[in-house]
Amino acid sequence: MTRRTLGLALLGGVLAVVAFLSITLGSRDIGLSEVLRALGGTGDTGSTNSTVTLELRVPRTLLGILVGAALGVAGAVLQGVTRNPLADAGIMGINSGAAVFVVFAVTVLGVRGAGVYVWFAFAGAIGALVLVYAVASLGREGATPIKLALAGAAVTAGLGSLTTGIVMTNVDALNELRFWQVGSLAGRYYPVLTGVAPFLILGLIASLGLGRVLNGLALGEDVARGLGQRVGLTRAAAFAVVAVLAGAATAACGPIVFVGLVVPHVARFLCGPDYRWILPYSMLLAPIALLLADVLGRILVAPDELQVGVVLGVIGAPVFVGIVRYGRMAEA
Amino acid sequence: MRAWRTFLTVAILSVALTACGAEDTPTSSASAAPAGPWSFTDGSGKEVKADQTPTRIIAHAGEAAALISFGIKPVGIYSDEPVKTDPNLKNLDLTGIEILGEEWGKIDVEKAASLRPDLIVADWWPAEKANSGLEEGVDEKSKKIAELAPIVGISQGKSIVELAEGYEALAKSLGAKVDDPAIAANKKRFEESVAKFKAAVAAKPNLTALAMSPSDDKVYVANPEYAPELLDFQKFGLQVINPDTPDPGFPYWENLSWENADKYQPDLILWDSRNYTDKANAEWGAKQPTWFKIKAAQAGATVSWPAFWMHTYGDFATELDKLTTAVTAANENIGS
Repeated sequence: MTRRTLGLALLGGVLAVVAFLSITLGSRDIGLSEVLRALGGTGDTGSTNSTVTLELRVPRTLLGILVGAALGVAGAVLQGVTRNPLADAGIMGINSGAAVFVVFAVTVLGVRGAGVYVWFAFAGAIGALVLVYAVASLGREGATPIKLALAGAAVTAGLGSLTTGIVMTNVDALNELRFWQVGSLAGRYYPVLTGVAPFLILGLIASLGLGRVLNGLALGEDVARGLGQRVGLTRAAAFAVVAVLAGAATAACGPIVFVGLVVPHVARFLCGPDYRWILPYSMLLAPIALLLADVLGRILVAPDELQVGVVLGVIGAPVFVGIVRYGRMAEA
Repeated sequence: MRAWRTFLTVAILSVALTACGAEDTPTSSASAAPAGPWSFTDGSGKEVKADQTPTRIIAHAGEAAALISFGIKPVGIYSDEPVKTDPNLKNLDLTGIEILGEEWGKIDVEKAASLRPDLIVADWWPAEKANSGLEEGVDEKSKKIAELAPIVGISQGKSIVELAEGYEALAKSLGAKVDDPAIAANKKRFEESVAKFKAAVAAKPNLTALAMSPSDDKVYVANPEYAPELLDFQKFGLQVINPDTPDPGFPYWENLSWENADKYQPDLILWDSRNYTDKANAEWGAKQPTWFKIKAAQAGATVSWPAFWMHTYGDFATELDKLTTAVTAANENIGS
C-alpha cells in the first residue's frame, strides 16, 4: 500500500468516527447506550430520544457526509478547471441562482416546503451555471478562466438584485429566503436527503473520472491540447459535474462557505498536486470538516444550535489564511 | 434596536389573521376638537404643549388604529408593512388618509410635510428611547418627520391594556368623546372579554401555556417579559411559562433546536399569529418529527397568540375571546 492509499484509508476511518460523533452528540442530551439501542432497533420507538436519533441525527449525518463530499469535490474541480486557487461555488453564481429560483417558486408559484423547492434551487443553480458559461463563451477565445470569473460575478450580482427585488415586495419570500442565507444541516430530514442524494452520488462518481483531465488542464490549455485533450469538451464536462454537485448541495443545505474553498488546499498539501488523488482526498476531508463544524455548532450553545454555515464562517477564515500562507511556502 | 420587529417579520412566515377589529370604527362622526391650549404628557415623560388642540395628525399604524377607534381620523399613516396586511389596519376604512410608508424605516417625509401635520403619534420605546419610525436603523430621511410637528407616544413594553388606556387618554385630550356609547362599546366589550377570560382560566387552575413560533431550523419560545400581551395574560391569571434561558443577545426568545422542541410541556400552545393558520399544527407535525413530541401539539391544543401588534380595546377583546374558547377546550393535564 502506498502512502497515499494509506492516507485515504486513514481519512475514511476518521470520517467514520466523526459520523459516529455526529449521531451521538447533539443539542439534546441523550445517553450513549440509548443512542446505540435506538440504532440497533431495540430502543423505545415512541420516545423522543429515539425519534431524535433515528429521524433527526441519522439523516442529518448522512446529508452532512454527502453535501460535504460534494462541496469539497466541487471546489477541487472548479479550482482545477479554472486554474484559480480561490475558485469556489460562489463565483459560478450557484448560490444566487438557487436563491432566485426558490424565491420565484415561493412568490409566483406558491410552493411551500423544502422538499419541494429543493428542485427549484437545483434548477436555478444549473441555470445560473449555464448562463455564466454561455456568457463567458462569447467571443473568439471561448470560456477562459478570467472571463468565467467575470461572468460569474456579473451573473451573481444580477441574480442577487433580482432576488432582492422580489423579496422586498413580499414578506413571505423574505421568510423563506432566510433558510437560504446561512447554510444549515438542521431541519432537513429524509425527504431532502432522498431528494438530493441521487444527484450527489452520481456527481461524486462522475467526478472521480475527471482527475486525469484536470491534471492536463493544470499544465495550461496549450499543453493540454498538445497532449491530445479536447479542452472545450473536458471543461464542459467538469462544469456539469460542478453544477450537479454544488447545485444539489446548495439546494439541500443553503450556501455553505469555506469547505469548497479550503478543503482542496488541505488535500493538495497532504497528497500533492495530482488531481487523481486530490479529488478522493477532498471527498473525505470535506465531510469530516463539515460534520465536525456541525457537531461543534450543536453542542456549543445547547439547547439552541448554531448553523453550520456560521461555525464554518467563524473558524474557516483564520484556517484559510493559515493554509494559504503555509501552502505558499510548501509550493515554493 | 427595534430590529427585533424586522427580525420577527423575517424569521416567521406571516400569515393572515382571521378577521378582527372591524367594529373598531365607531359610526358616530369624529368629535370637534376643543380650541386649546392643549398639553399632553406622553410615555417618555415629556409634556407636549400647543396653543391649539392638534387636528392634523400623522400616526404610526397601530397608533392610528387606536385613534380611529376613538373617532379621531389621522390625515396620514405610516406602517411597517403594507396596510393591507398590517393586522392593525387591514380591516379599517382608510379612505381619505394618506399612506406615507408601508415598510419599516421608510417614511415619505415630503408627502408628510404637504399634509401640514400639527401632531405625530407614535409609540415610545423605552429601551431604545425612540418613537416608532425614528429608531436606530431607519432611513435618515425618515427621521426628518420629527421636524414637522411635536411627537407624542404611549410607552410600549409591559402591557397592551396600559397602551390602550394611554391612547384613550390621548384621544380624550384631543377632543374624542370617549364616553360616547358607540365609542365606549369597544372598551365595554373588552372588559367583558377579560371577565370571561379570567373565569375560564380560573376554572383550570393547573393549565399552563407556552408562546411558541416554530421555524424551519429551530423552535422559538417567547419570553413574556418582552411581550406585553403575554404579561397581560399572566396578569389575568393564565400561567404563561417563562423560558429559563432566553437568548442573551436577543432576550425576546429562547431558541430551541428541533432536538429540544419538547423541552417544555405546556397544556396549550399560544402560536405566534404571524405564522398561525388552522392547518399550521398539522403541517409542522408532518414536517418536523419532534413537533408532536409536545403533547399539546399532538392533542391539537393550539391557538393564535396576537404577537406584538395590538393597540386597541376592540382588537384585544376579539383576540381574548379566541383565547377564552381555547382555554375552555384545553385539557389542563395534557402537558403534565
